[in-house]
This record gives sequence, C-alpha cells and structure tokens, in this order.
Amino acid sequence: MLKQIRRALLLSLALVAPVMADTFVFTAIPDNDETRLRERFQSVADYLSEQLDVDVRYVPVKSYAAAVSAFRNNQVQLAWFGGLSGVQARQLVPGSEAIAQGKEDTQFITYFIAHKSTGLEHSDTLPKAIKGMTFTFGSKGSTSGRLMPEYYIRQTFGEAPEDVFSRVGFSGNHSRTIRLVESGTYQVGAVNYAVWNSELDAGKIDTDAVKVIWETPSYQDYQWTIRGDVNERFGDGFKDKVKQALVNMDDPELLKKFPRSAFIPANNSDYDSIRETAKQIGIID
Amino acid sequence: MDAVHLRNLTAAYGGQQVLGPISLDIRPGEHIALVGGSGAGKSTLLNLLYEQVRDRAALVPQEQGLVQSLPVFHNVYMGQLAAHSRWYNLLNLVWPRRRELQAIEPLLEKLGIREKLRTPVEALSGGQKQRTAIARALFQNAEILLADEPVSALDGPLAHVVMGLMTESYATSVVALHDIDLALRYCDRIIGIQNGQIALDDMTRRLTPSDILPLY
Amino acid sequence: MFLSSTSVRITAAFVAIAILCLFAADLAITTINPWQDLAALFLGMVTPDFFSLEHIGTALLRTLAFAFTGVALGSISGFLLALVFRFRAVRMFCAFIRAIHELFWALIFLQFFGFHPLTGVLAIAIPYAGIFAKVYSEILDETDPTPERVLSRKVDVLSSFLYARIPDALPHLITYTSYRLECGLRSSAVLGFVGLPTLGYYLESSFSQGYYSEVGALLLLFYVLIATLRLWARPRLIPLYVIAAPFFLGDGLPIVWGNVVRFFTQDIVPSPLRDGEGLPGLWHWLSDLAVNQAMPGIWNTLVLTQIALVLTGLVTLMAFPLISRHFGGPTRRGLGHVVLVIARSTPEYVIAYILLQLWGPSMLPAIVALALHNGGIIGHLIGRRSNEITLRPDAPKGIERYGYELLPRLYSPFLAFLFYRWEIIMRETAILGILGIYTLGFFVDSAIQNIQFDKAMVLILVTAFLNIGVDAISRRVRARLRLKVSMTCEGH
Repeated sequence: MLKQIRRALLLSLALVAPVMADTFVFTAIPDNDETRLRERFQSVADYLSEQLDVDVRYVPVKSYAAAVSAFRNNQVQLAWFGGLSGVQARQLVPGSEAIAQGKEDTQFITYFIAHKSTGLEHSDTLPKAIKGMTFTFGSKGSTSGRLMPEYYIRQTFGEAPEDVFSRVGFSGNHSRTIRLVESGTYQVGAVNYAVWNSELDAGKIDTDAVKVIWETPSYQDYQWTIRGDVNERFGDGFKDKVKQALVNMDDPELLKKFPRSAFIPANNSDYDSIRETAKQIGIID
Repeated sequence: MDAVHLRNLTAAYGGQQVLGPISLDIRPGEHIALVGGSGAGKSTLLNLLYEQVRDRAALVPQEQGLVQSLPVFHNVYMGQLAAHSRWYNLLNLVWPRRRELQAIEPLLEKLGIREKLRTPVEALSGGQKQRTAIARALFQNAEILLADEPVSALDGPLAHVVMGLMTESYATSVVALHDIDLALRYCDRIIGIQNGQIALDDMTRRLTPSDILPLY
Repeated sequence: MFLSSTSVRITAAFVAIAILCLFAADLAITTINPWQDLAALFLGMVTPDFFSLEHIGTALLRTLAFAFTGVALGSISGFLLALVFRFRAVRMFCAFIRAIHELFWALIFLQFFGFHPLTGVLAIAIPYAGIFAKVYSEILDETDPTPERVLSRKVDVLSSFLYARIPDALPHLITYTSYRLECGLRSSAVLGFVGLPTLGYYLESSFSQGYYSEVGALLLLFYVLIATLRLWARPRLIPLYVIAAPFFLGDGLPIVWGNVVRFFTQDIVPSPLRDGEGLPGLWHWLSDLAVNQAMPGIWNTLVLTQIALVLTGLVTLMAFPLISRHFGGPTRRGLGHVVLVIARSTPEYVIAYILLQLWGPSMLPAIVALALHNGGIIGHLIGRRSNEITLRPDAPKGIERYGYELLPRLYSPFLAFLFYRWEIIMRETAILGILGIYTLGFFVDSAIQNIQFDKAMVLILVTAFLNIGVDAISRRVRARLRLKVSMTCEGH
C-alpha cells in the first residue's frame, strides 16, 4: 500500500510538474478578505497572462509568512508584498527585486481607529489616552497593520505595545481589524488606510461605531517583488516584460480593485527605511 | 525417540517454591498419566516438561491456546507451521490449500467436528474447542504428546474416543488427568503429584483406584 | 467505600490547582455585545446555504483525501514501529513525534514543501504513526500468548505472528484504526487553517467575512460526514478509498528539494551559530528566548490546561446522563446523542476560533472550547459505559440515582479517561496559541511569521517535552489510582 501511495504522490507530482514548468505563479499577502483578494488577483492573473504570453496562476495563502516562504521556496516567482514582507523576502532571496509599486504606496498611511465608547476624537498626535485600552494590530507580518503602528506606539510611549495596552491582539487582516473595533471587541486598532477607505466607499463601515483618531506620517508600503532567476526560466527580458506589464496596467476596473490609481517603477532601496524600522523593533535580525 | 531425563526440576511462584525438586525419566513408548488434586502442581510440572522438550513435543495446554478468530482448519494447521515455508503458510492463511484440507478433514471426522472445519473457534462449544486443540496436537505429529486435562469438557463416550485416539497416535505421552478411571485404562504408568512432589510413581498394572484416591 | 480516598484526594488536588489557576488566568469577555454575533451564528446554522460556496464539494473531498492518505500512511508506519516497540529508543521516538501537534508539523513542512499535498499528508501521518505504534503494540501485547506458546520453536517468525497474534488482535486494530480515522477527519479539517485546501480553509474564509450561512453549511456537512462514517466507511470499501485518496489531494505547488536541504542546514540552525557568534552568542540567544517566550508560553499553557482539564471533567459529569438509559426515554437520549456528536465532532480549534471572534481574546474561549470538545468525547464514553450497568428494579430515581448508583460506579473509568486526555488537552492548548492566546503556540506562530525558524523549532521542542512530561505524570497518577481503561483506548 505504501508503494501505491508513493506512486500516487509521484504521479500527482509528475502530472503537475510539466504544467508548472511554464506557468508563472504569483501570490499576495492576505491583507484583506479572501473573496476580494481572489477577485482582484484572478483579474491580475488574466491580465498578465495576456500581456506576457505565458500561463499565469494566482495562489492564495493564509498568512504573510506563507507568502514569503512560497516566494523564497521558488514556488511562486512574483508576489504582491507589503513593505515589511517585501524586505523580509528580498533579504531571503538574493537577487530578487522590487519592480513596481502603487502610486499611493510611496505615501502610505496607517489609521488608528477607535470604538465610539472610548470617546476618542480625531487628533494630530497619537492620543495619550489610548494607554491602558485594548488594542489590535492586523497581521503579525503586516507593515501598515503592525510594523508602523508599533513603531509609532513605541515612539510615543517609549514602551512596548504589551506594556502600553491592557490587551494586545492580532486580528489577522485589515478587514477584521475594522470589524473587531467596530464591534467593540477591541477599543483601538491600527488599519491600512487604503482598506479603510475602500470599505468606507462600499458602505461597509458603521461610522457611528468606529472612527479614525490618528493618521501616521507616510511611509513606503506595498510593492511587486520578483525573483532574480525568472529570466533563466522564462526567457531573456522576462523580468522587464513583467515590470512593464505591471506599470502599464491602466484598466480602471482592475486598478480600483487594489485600490491604486496607477503603478510606478520601484527599487529595493525605496524600502531601506522600512528595514531599519523593522530592525529597531526586532522583527528582523 | 530418546528417553527424556529430567533432574531436579523446580518451580517458584511469587518467590515461593511450589514444585519440586522433581526428577523424572520418560522412556520411549510410555503413556504416562499425571494425577493429583487440583493445585497439586500437575500443570506446573507439565509446563516445565514442555520447556525441556519443546522441540520434540506437542502441547495441549489447559487453556487450549487456540486463536479465537481463526477457523478450526487454521487452528489445526498451526500444528504443522514449522513444516512449511513462510510463503506457503501465508498463502494457506488467505486461501486454504486443498492438500491441507484433505489431511485435516479425516482427523476432524474422527473427533466428530468435521462440519466445523470452517467455523471460527470463538463460535464453538467448550467440548468442540477442546477437540480442536487436540486435533492440532495430533496433526503436529511430534515425538511426545503433552496434554493438560485434554478431555475435561468431553462427556463419557467422547472422552474415551479422544483418549483412544491420542494413545494410538502418539507412542509416548504425558497426560494430566483428574479422571482416575481414564488414567487406569489408557496409561501404562501413573505419577501422582501431591504438594509439588511425586507421591506415587508406578506401572498401572500394579495399581488400583484405592491406591490413587488418597492423593485427592 | 466506592471512592477510594486516593481518588477523592487527587480530585480535590486537581480542583484546587484549577481554582488557583483561575486567579492567574485572563478570562474576560471583551466584546461589547458577545451574544449578538453568537445569535447571528446560530441563525446561520439554521439557515445553511449549501449553494453559494462553489468550493464546498472540493473542501469536503480534500478533507477526506488528506484524512485517508494521512491516516493510512500513519497506520502502516505505526504498525511497523509497533513491531519493534519493545526497544526503548523506538518508544522514545514515538513519544516525541506524537507530542508535536499536527498543525506544528504542518507549519514545519510548509516551510520547505510549501503547499504541496505532502505537507498535509505528513502532518497527519507522522504524529498518528507515533500514536498508532503505541496503541497497536498495546493491543498486540494483550492478545492471548498461549497460541504462540504451543507452536514449535522451528516455526518462522512471520508465520507465527500471522497465525498466532494477528487474527485475534485484528478486530481491536480495526476498531482503533477506524476511531482514529474519525480523528483524522478532524485533523485534516483543521489543517485548512494554515492554508491547506481542506475544510478549515473555507471555514476560516467564510467566518472571517461574516458569511455565517456558509459556515453553517460547512459545519453541518462535516457533522453529517462524521455521523455517517460507519455507513460509508465500510471495511471492504476502505482499501478502495485509500488507493483513491492520493489522487484527490489536489496538485498544490511543486516541491523544490533544495529548500529541504536549506531548511535543515540553515534555517533551523540558531542564528548566533549561523552568524558565527559562537557559544556565548548562543547562550544569550537561548536565555533571551527562554525568558521572553518559552517561560511565559509554558506558564500560560499550564494554567489554561489545568483549568480546561477540570472543566472538561465537569462537562463530562453533566453530559453523560444525556445519553444514559438510566435517565429519560429514547427521544431525549436521541437528542443527547446529537448534542454530543456535535461537541465531539467539532475540533477544539474550530470552537475556539469561533468563540474568540465572538467573545474577544482571552483564555475563556479556549477553555470553553477544550471543555466542550473533550467533555463531549468522555461524556460519550462514560454514557455508553453507564448503559452497561444494570440497576436493581427499585433503584432510586433522578439525582439520587445519579449520586448513589451511577457516579460511584463510573468514577474510576471517568478519572481514567480524563487523565488519558490530559496530554491531549495540553497539546491542543499549546496549539490554540496560534489563534492569539498567549500559550506556546502563539510564540511558535510569531517566530514563524517573523521567518525565525530557529526560534520556532526550539519552541516546538519545548512544547513537545512539556507534553511528554505531562504524559509521564498522567501515567503515574493512573498507576497510583490503578486506573485502566479497556483496550480500545478510546480515550486517545
């Protein structure tokens, strides 16, 4: 029976391998509701497939770390990373490059949001009154939902979040952060402003229950990162083709799904300050 | 076969000596009955004996040693496992060989359980189980038969049939019996055990029931 | 006296420890309206939507495929290990591999096999092999040894084993394996939470988006699958399923073998050694890890485990009358069975996940989840056992019947099952940390999220040794109480 199983496994490998060999696979960090991610990235896969003339497949993952691991393990060749996950991934895969980012990603912002019961109002600095309240980040590996808010919390209070708040949680993604603060499970939360705005436009947020109390200064965030060895596998100039295809993406429907107004070229060095911040906090060694 | 010579056999249970030291010679062609009250040490002696002569003996233990979920056929066939290769045994387990069936059927016929050939042992009555264990020992065809109360669950006529069959099939045997009449009728030497010692050892022809009764 | 004073004393000690732990535990309900969401969830359960989920069939198929392949592989390897179980090294190896939870195994394999089916299959097969080895060897040891004794010494080992041991052990081996298959279905479902394409994957997606009717549909189908296991998992059909299962695992992503080498030669090597900081660096790294992560993790894991253990006992004692024939008629017992099937078919991880969303983060959801699931399992076993008891015709009724007639007779098996599950409760407690409760799993997950596999591995090892320790204590307690449960080991 062992033999049968092994044969079946090998067979399933063999069945997949030839197809995968010329399939360009990409993933994205799961920063949003799964249905929305699938819609968005399936459209991207279709678009890229058309532009690049190869089969393109989108693979959803359940965590930021899984996205980084898949990229590192060469199971995906391209990924839509956040600032932090991109830094982690490029550190682990020498030769990989940030090739494109959304126009908004050069000026990204985190919103601190609070439940109405806290009585907090919008302010120009991080309100000191949040000390002692309950607080939720997004995912542990998120830039806008973890890294930057933690950085500003430490800067404001001079303490780790666990010492500032009575309870610290990780919601998993930005949509859930909004839901959790909206329902009062946590009093305060940190959320990606793009996700907040798009949910707000879609009428999904009960603005009586939850409001923005502070906006962080801007920083670099999301980017497309590609492995250094794609040209060897998909032909000379493939990397540039991908970069061009991404930057040329101008279908308003598609851009709205991100939501970004346009994509522009990016460089690894754009994210140096993110790496420094992550080192300070101890998220990367 | 060669004679069996046993010297200074002892057995202890929980640190206490329960049997022996006993010395015993078993000569070829002897049918020996072990008699004595319950707890006297018959089973212990028989088991010790089995350890000494395991390579040339077939054993019918009191608890029978049957595999409950296997049919009678396989339980009997187990007497001859050593005579075949493992692959033959494996095949026979899954798919009974005709040759073995033909060898075992007449044996079961004589014991009156032929129709149980394919019945799992767990579905048999006490007497039928006992005869299955005996059939296995007979099928094994070793040099010596060692049997512990082999007919305890069989009624009168059947007990005689089985005792007859055993003495006929095995030239040499040691059988623990509590039935004095059976011992006197089928065995030519009687060893009485009492308190872990041999209290009586004589040829049957020189004994009467009244010589044996005091042992109980 | 029915209750030996030892069992009363031990019970009292455990209850006292649990009460002390209550003071150290964080049990708040932090949501402002915890019942509103719960009501929404129940509404979803009664208005399941079987059609909006296009992947619902795939989810169930993959769950079955991973369960069958994993359990089959685990059972075969476990059987082979059981044959050499008398060696101490093998016993320790098995104790070690089963002390690591399926989800931890999955998290490890994900790092180098990625989303290849092998990740899910091995995550189930490896810990199950450890459990199978132990229980199979116990079953084989307990079969009647006399058939082997009457065989001639010249009989070869294989024939002797196949004729004299296996046939009588087989029904027990099959019963236990089919019980494990049910566990395998639960394990397989839960693996979805880390990204494998099984039920948990879809459950998490639907739940986190508030699609409660989809959640309802997924859960109901899962209950039906488990409740009807006996109908469709016929012994004759099992080989067919096992052969077919590997073909339904999905294709995932191809394995890159270089990643495997890298994982073992670089990723899990402690970073100070990788960076050439030598032993002083390693010492600093280790003590930092111990103080900031391992210690708090162990403390929370222990506190939560002890409370959950006692609450499990309480739930059991309240739950078993639901299916006992000494209380209530067939209708009430039927309903009781439904309640207990739901409690024991829903993995702790799923209950905890749901309650965490509804009540907010604290130990409370985890404790309730562990108590409901494990209480459901033991309640079922004790209830069945109570049905084997025949009472005199004029036995008292109601609470007197419970207190005077049944409880004294059932208390020993109850304690035995409870202590059997102690280690399992701790394994699960550790893993629930992934959901955000500060047990060891939280720190393991954090290390993995930070791509620090060296730290993750150390913490997983700590978790494993903690489990082995509790198992050893549990064995001593059971020996002290002279508790022994029948061979099926259903407690596991």
